[in-house]
Amino acid sequence: MTKVLLSNIDRPEQVKLETYRASGGYRGLEKALKLDQAAVIEEVKASGLRGRGGAGFPTGMKWGFVPRNSPKPTYLLCNADESEPGTFKDRLLMERDPHLLIEGMAIACYALNCHLSYIYLRGEYEFIAHILQKALDEAYEAKILGPSLMGRDFALDIFLHLGEGAYICGEETALIESLEGYRGYPRLKPPFPAVSGFLASPTVVNNVETLCAVPWIIQNGAAAYASMGTEKSKGTKLFSVSGHVNKPGVYEVEMGYPLLDFIKNESGGIPNGRKLKAVIPGGSSVPVLTAQECESVVLDYESLAKAGSMLGSGGVIVFDETTKMPEVLSVIADFYAHESCGQCTPCREGTGWAAKILRNIVAGKGKRSDLELLLKIANMMEGKTICPLADADVMPIRSFVNKFRNEFEDFCNGH
Amino acid sequence: MPKLTINDREIEARDGAMIIQAAAEAGIEIPHYCYHQDLPVDGNCRMCLVEVEKMPKLTPACATSVSEGMVVNTHNERVKEAVRGVLEFLLVNHPVDCPVCDQAGECRLQDYYMVYGLHTSEIPLEMKVRKRKVIDLGPMVVLDTERCVLCSRCIRFCDHVTGTGELQFFGRGDHVEIGTFEDRPILNPYSGNVVDICPVGALTSRDFRFKCRVWFLHSTDSVCAGCSTGCNARIDHRDGAIFRMIPRRNPDVNKSWLCDEGRLSIHEIGRGERVRRALIKGRDGMQAPASLGEALDAANTGLREAARKYGGAAILGVGSASATNEALFLLARYVKGQLGGDQLEFRLDSEDRKALEPEDKILRRFDKHPNSMGALALGFAGDEIGGIEGAISKAREGKIKAAVILYYKPLVTRETDALAEARIAELVSLLEFSVLFAAHKADWQTDAGVLLPVAAWTEEEGTYTNYQSRVQAALQAINPPGDAQPAWSLLAALLEASGDTSVWSSSTDVLSDMKQAVSAFAGIDLDSVYSQGALISTNGAL
Ligand SMILES: Cc1cc2nc3c(=O)[nH]c(=O)nc-3n(C[C@H](O)[C@H](O)[C@H](O)COP(=O)(O)O)c2cc1C
Ligand code: SF4
Ligand code: SF4
Ligand code: SF4
Ligand code: FES
Repeated sequence: MTKVLLSNIDRPEQVKLETYRASGGYRGLEKALKLDQAAVIEEVKASGLRGRGGAGFPTGMKWGFVPRNSPKPTYLLCNADESEPGTFKDRLLMERDPHLLIEGMAIACYALNCHLSYIYLRGEYEFIAHILQKALDEAYEAKILGPSLMGRDFALDIFLHLGEGAYICGEETALIESLEGYRGYPRLKPPFPAVSGFLASPTVVNNVETLCAVPWIIQNGAAAYASMGTEKSKGTKLFSVSGHVNKPGVYEVEMGYPLLDFIKNESGGIPNGRKLKAVIPGGSSVPVLTAQECESVVLDYESLAKAGSMLGSGGVIVFDETTKMPEVLSVIADFYAHESCGQCTPCREGTGWAAKILRNIVAGKGKRSDLELLLKIANMMEGKTICPLADADVMPIRSFVNKFRNEFEDFCNGH
Repeated sequence: MPKLTINDREIEARDGAMIIQAAAEAGIEIPHYCYHQDLPVDGNCRMCLVEVEKMPKLTPACATSVSEGMVVNTHNERVKEAVRGVLEFLLVNHPVDCPVCDQAGECRLQDYYMVYGLHTSEIPLEMKVRKRKVIDLGPMVVLDTERCVLCSRCIRFCDHVTGTGELQFFGRGDHVEIGTFEDRPILNPYSGNVVDICPVGALTSRDFRFKCRVWFLHSTDSVCAGCSTGCNARIDHRDGAIFRMIPRRNPDVNKSWLCDEGRLSIHEIGRGERVRRALIKGRDGMQAPASLGEALDAANTGLREAARKYGGAAILGVGSASATNEALFLLARYVKGQLGGDQLEFRLDSEDRKALEPEDKILRRFDKHPNSMGALALGFAGDEIGGIEGAISKAREGKIKAAVILYYKPLVTRETDALAEARIAELVSLLEFSVLFAAHKADWQTDAGVLLPVAAWTEEEGTYTNYQSRVQAALQAINPPGDAQPAWSLLAALLEASGDTSVWSSSTDVLSDMKQAVSAFAGIDLDSVYSQGALISTNGAL
């Protein structure tokens, strides 16, 4: 299978500019710089690349929204805050192939006419900061970045910013607030970042994986990328697999790969011959699928949506038959309660309340009526908040309680 | 002017208005906590969610601007359920300590619970998040973080109105608390406003808390007399005692704010000894109590005698920039019309004319008198006499022999007050005969021939002209002490005794006459005086 993202991931010393160049690095940028800026955007549009940060928004279209004649500068922000439970793919790219991200960002900046760009790196990824900064320094030294992008009359600076450890700062407008030096509070939308984002200027926020796919697309052409995957989900995607599998890790596969085959073939199946119980296919924020629901699912945006879940960040969490689902949900609910920024009422109060009820249930102190209460809280939160974090708590709560109701009731029985 | 439909009613809204404003202007109330007319929108409480056709999700009415053809529903089942949900969330971790909460009776949680909630709490007490209570935040504010609904109004006030940024959120999730860095006090001169805008009992007034349950209070519209800004205010009182003053919104004057000094100025009225009875100086040079009637007679007789003996030029009317327009108008009418004398305002000496100068960028002005512009418009400039200094030297030279003086002590005090008071005291000491109208006692008043007890601000109805030349009415909240009466009413009695045939039975009667007699006041609309204020033409008096 053609690898767009991970082809050099195991190459020794790939983090070095020299090695990166030897593997064909920065040729995508060279090629892009020979094209019109608009032509680069067209190419990305034609490739069908969609945002890999979770929402799956078409990347070329997002770039196209940026007003062309704004008197204000345009900013590209790379979202490297990767904090969604079950997701660890951006980390691999940055740790092993940092120049790939820099090249992708440089191409995007050129296309967007952006001269100042930031990487917003998850606070706990401090060790990656050193790797990224080294790569950036090398790129500056080699005059790839700086006053003239690869010798062209186009200045580009890329700065690295380390977050302080808040999941919410991965939400793009919270990221912008945080980068501006404020509390990481998501903003009311509209205005959307494309119109008024960082420093009230047009801003594009893209995920690491999204940007890392760009050099390949420019070098090999949109058609080559679009020839992979399914009709609406083009190209390849990284999946971070964790949970009850023999070979947890990050895998790059073509969109459309059947989920159960993926678990069996790529991640080595479930240990000790146990049976599958459930899968969270796209990070903790998406509805869980029962083993039965997984049967017809392939890994792409449409198939997962049809099954009632989402591709999300591609964080596949596998649960075997021994898993106690209420315990899993309790952990997930604790996460959202801990990470809610606390700005808007339904999320601030709802995530915390739900988490406490679930802790009670897991401790054997729950009542059956608590399940109705949980579903009521989910309804009270859904679609009523400033950012989607509350909904990200609603998805697992509702799907776990509804699909594994008997397990929850067992926990509550006798009380 | 986009047209839209709210709850099947077609309304027209201002361009760029938010749904919540357009609805309010059409008389449709949308429940809200974080939205405030005079603060930037934040959209965090989610209480104002409404349904807008073609929008898949409910949308916050405070943060969604109106557009042509928009169809809004603020009260269908879907919206009501959402609002009920938000309210239930707000109460989940709320201590519900209403019996000991000073906000009870004017609390948005209580009010909305009665309208939208009425649910039974589903959370056991021990599961509630506990937060810090009774935190001292300086001279004006006490904080209870447990009652806070985290609407950020107070933060936005300190960020955007005063620009001092003392308050901020701390923590995350349901542990978020409001606070200042290391609990430092809020010392900006407008800090009391955060108490007013806090929709719940999280921020309470150090000055007012636990003094009186709000439902026992009566409210009277007034205007702060603390400086020439003339902030619109509401006086809350009970049984003749004033408990607090809070802002009354006037977008053209004070928006929704008051300064702390002005807010606390209500206590000045009761501070120090009040003049409760009239006093007349006898032949022995000692003042003895008298009835108002006797005192007014003595005043009239004394002044007329002086006018006969020394001529009208020897008589002076000394107004006060703290007196009402009505009192000043009648004072001028009496001194000029009946005695042939001249007039001035004793604090408006040329170098003191700061009525227009702002003390800061928000509300306060250097001139700590509510009616300097009124005094000027009514001819109390005193330029010809040479101000109070000129009057003093004329008195020393024996050219001025008698005076009618209105004296009010300033409610917001400054160092220069002592000098102004010393000058008026000196003038009184030099005169052969003086009639002094005073609300508060002072040592030098023993020199006055007749001392008349007058009502102070809040004890009388009257109008003041602020620095914008805006005439605004302050209504009577409480009764004056003892025999004290509004200055205008005592002056009306003097005029009547002198043969003036006009009859004034209220301050509004006087204002109507002023409208006829004084060209600057000719154009004012009386209804406006009693609502948003009415501008007079001053022809650049200052
Ligand atoms: C609560 C929350 C957390 C998020 N965290 C991340 C994150 O860690 N990394 C990321 O790339 N996108 C994250 N997103 C999505 C971003 O808001 C944004 O959609 C994305 O960065 C856009 O990039 P893309 O178009 O390349 O996917 C998060 C969204 C939400 C609501
Ligand atoms: S939904 Fe939650 S995380 Fe998002 S803005 Fe509201 S409180 Fe913050
Ligand atoms: S203290 Fe009052 S005004 Fe401030 S955030 Fe809390 S509820 Fe709102
Ligand atoms: S600014 Fe002046 S008028 Fe306004 S409250 Fe303060 S003292 Fe009173
Ligand atoms: S009033 Fe609209 S969200 Fe608070």
